Amino acid sequence: MNDLEKKYNMSEKELFSRIDHDSLESEVITAPRYSYWQSVFKVFFRKKINIVILSLLLFIILFTYIYPAIFPYDADSNLLNGALKHLSPSKAIEANGFALKWILGSGASGQSTFDQMWNGARISISLAFVCAAINMSVGVVLGAVWGFSKKFDMIMTEVYNIIGNIPYILMISVLVMLFTASFGTMVFALTITGWLGIAYFIRTQVIIIRDREYNLASRCLGTSIFTIAIKNILPFMTSVIVTLAATEIPSYISYEVFLSYIGMGMKDMSLGKIIFSAEASMLTPGWQFEFWSPVILTSIITIVLYVVGQNLGDASDPRTHM
Amino acid sequence: MIKYLFKRLLHGLVSLVAVVMIVMILVYSLMDRTLIFSTDPLYSKQLNNNKTVYMYSRWEQYGYLDFVSYADYLNILVKNGELTEDVKALAVKLGRTSDKDSAETKQYSQMFTEYYESMGYKVKRLDAVMLVNKVANGGQPQLFAYKDYSVLSRLASYFTGLFKIDNIHAVEDYPGERRLTFTLYDPVYGGEKLSPAIIGSGTNHRYLFYVDGEFPYIHQNFLTISLGTSFVVNKGIDVFDTMTNTQGSYRLEEQTFPSGLTEMTADNLHSAKYAAGSLDKSAVFAGRFVDDYTDVTTFKQNMSKVGYSFVIGIIATIMAYLLGLPLGIIMAKNKDKLIDKLGTLYIIFIIAVPSLAYIFMFKAIGGAFGLPTTFVMDTASKAMFVLPIISLALPSIANLMKWMRRYMIDQMNSDYVKFARSGGLTESEIFSQHISKNAMIPIVHGIPGSILGAITGAIITERVYVVPGAGNLLTKAINAYDNGVIIGLVMFYALLSIVSIILGDILMSLVDPRISFETKDR
Repeated sequence: MNDLEKKYNMSEKELFSRIDHDSLESEVITAPRYSYWQSVFKVFFRKKINIVILSLLLFIILFTYIYPAIFPYDADSNLLNGALKHLSPSKAIEANGFALKWILGSGASGQSTFDQMWNGARISISLAFVCAAINMSVGVVLGAVWGFSKKFDMIMTEVYNIIGNIPYILMISVLVMLFTASFGTMVFALTITGWLGIAYFIRTQVIIIRDREYNLASRCLGTSIFTIAIKNILPFMTSVIVTLAATEIPSYISYEVFLSYIGMGMKDMSLGKIIFSAEASMLTPGWQFEFWSPVILTSIITIVLYVVGQNLGDASDPRTHM
Repeated sequence: MIKYLFKRLLHGLVSLVAVVMIVMILVYSLMDRTLIFSTDPLYSKQLNNNKTVYMYSRWEQYGYLDFVSYADYLNILVKNGELTEDVKALAVKLGRTSDKDSAETKQYSQMFTEYYESMGYKVKRLDAVMLVNKVANGGQPQLFAYKDYSVLSRLASYFTGLFKIDNIHAVEDYPGERRLTFTLYDPVYGGEKLSPAIIGSGTNHRYLFYVDGEFPYIHQNFLTISLGTSFVVNKGIDVFDTMTNTQGSYRLEEQTFPSGLTEMTADNLHSAKYAAGSLDKSAVFAGRFVDDYTDVTTFKQNMSKVGYSFVIGIIATIMAYLLGLPLGIIMAKNKDKLIDKLGTLYIIFIIAVPSLAYIFMFKAIGGAFGLPTTFVMDTASKAMFVLPIISLALPSIANLMKWMRRYMIDQMNSDYVKFARSGGLTESEIFSQHISKNAMIPIVHGIPGSILGAITGAIITERVYVVPGAGNLLTKAINAYDNGVIIGLVMFYALLSIVSIILGDILMSLVDPRISFETKDR
């Protein structure tokens, strides 16, 4: 006993005391402390690859939002200097002296490919995030209502069948022609029918979960539909929603690239527009950097966003928290 | 089953009409109608009042409105015998302003205004544009009436004009006897080869039924489909013909003209249509044709737009199913092993990377291996098909792999699999006999869609490899504001997608006897 007293520097009385049976305390259920979001991040960071990808994402965001703010991009600064056009990286560094902006050479109007690329990435990523935010919030809310209400279901299914058959390109091009081809118009065009697909997906998920036994029990006990939706179903849907967002955000970037490529994109030099305007450089010897750097950057951005989203979706599924 | 399908089909038709209506509203009502002149070279050459009249007449051609000029109205009156040529010659001359009109002009322009205003038209009078003392270039006075089509009347006329049935009363003022003749020896082949044909006179088409060497070998012209006429993309030609007519350089065939002349010609004599007064206009026709059935299409060397799209699309689809499904099964069997991880990497790559980026990547890689990267018609080599097919197949393979793996894994955890295993079946028996059969059910649903989808073509792939296919038609039409083509294509695409969903459901119920359309209540 002396050893213990020395070890913990406590008297015997402090170390050992008699505890009586407490009938009140025996009613308390103890369980390991569980916090949902804490567990989500714990599971997320358990995979080492996620840390690598997340830092890559931080790096991309740093370059898309902070780098252009520090080093403003001017597309026309070298417009009149013919000697600076279409330079390969080594020649551009030779001509301008070493600077980060010349490591990928220069483009058709003497602009820095590196700066142009990040400027385009800023527009494309912003567009993707804004569209995803609008579509996801409208889609999830209406999808939940769609899943619950039978009357709404009948109307919405018809609307879905009809709008789903209108070619997306036609819808967007008409809207782009109606207004100017600006950032706002693009957001409007991509969101006006874009939420429908998400709502339909959420509807199916809600219908699957809605009739599970625990919800039937909950309804028998008199829980209102609203409470069931918020407390019983929404937690179940978190991982589905996060996974959906992971595919949605890159898909808007891809879509914007596609639209710009077929000549229906916006006027701003987004990634898609840069790829479209540099297409001729793909096969010209020495000019390839102008074309491949935005293509590769777009691929990296979409892959990183997709993988982060997928893994976050996996981590937000409570079944992985054990 | 029949009753259910009939209901589904009816439902599909209703949504088809709704789709066409929405697109009509988008195209005709919402879009600025002056945009159609942005690529029109003639428009900038027109001046003053002529420009206004030109705009209205173009809008009439594009289907925006009905346009009647004062001169047209007088011509109708002459034709009906309500007006003589002499009076018309006086009445047609408009004064510089309305109070300078002659008495006849005043009378008839008054009639014109009253007649068309009573029918809801808007009548517009443009006074002469003067340059000092003479009328400016294109500034002649004009009088015309116009009426915008309403959405419903446009919709009704579109759907009623969709199918045209040819009959012996189709041509007005046909000079000869109206009849149909059936022959076993088609005169186009010199009248000796056995080849049945039905030849009409008074009909729109000369040949209403014939047999030739072109796919599908037996042809008819009794019923023709007109989806919408083009004005820019393929001037004056219906969308359906634009998609299905052969392309490339001319192909000569030995044929006998109606006059009896036999020569090598690219004219497809079976396609002859009536064109009033055409025989006298051209010296070339004189030795070959005997009547006004002279409007022929030509034989071309290569496949049609739909043909190219379909060949590329169908091979890519077959490849995708042949590769994607086994790969998905292998991934599911080796879950969490190396092969599964590699497959997942490939799937992530295809899903996340914009399609434009990987198509360019395939193009660059294929080019490095010496494969042709652009499509050239009129070459015998089939190597140019390789890259477009690969570019189309790889994403579908990824998609099928993803879903097949998902369905297989879902099935692997189900009770019947555990039961089969406890019953002593081997793993390979369980996989081939039980799991894959159940996992195939949702996959089967997509098969008609991917086959019919091959007809519509792929936008980016066809553009990148310069394939003369149907995929780019819609974007071309939108860029050129070719309304007729837009509506026709949307109608066609919507029809394909509705039909493929219904076919998918039927196929699924054939594969899985548990799925039945008979009982609806759960």
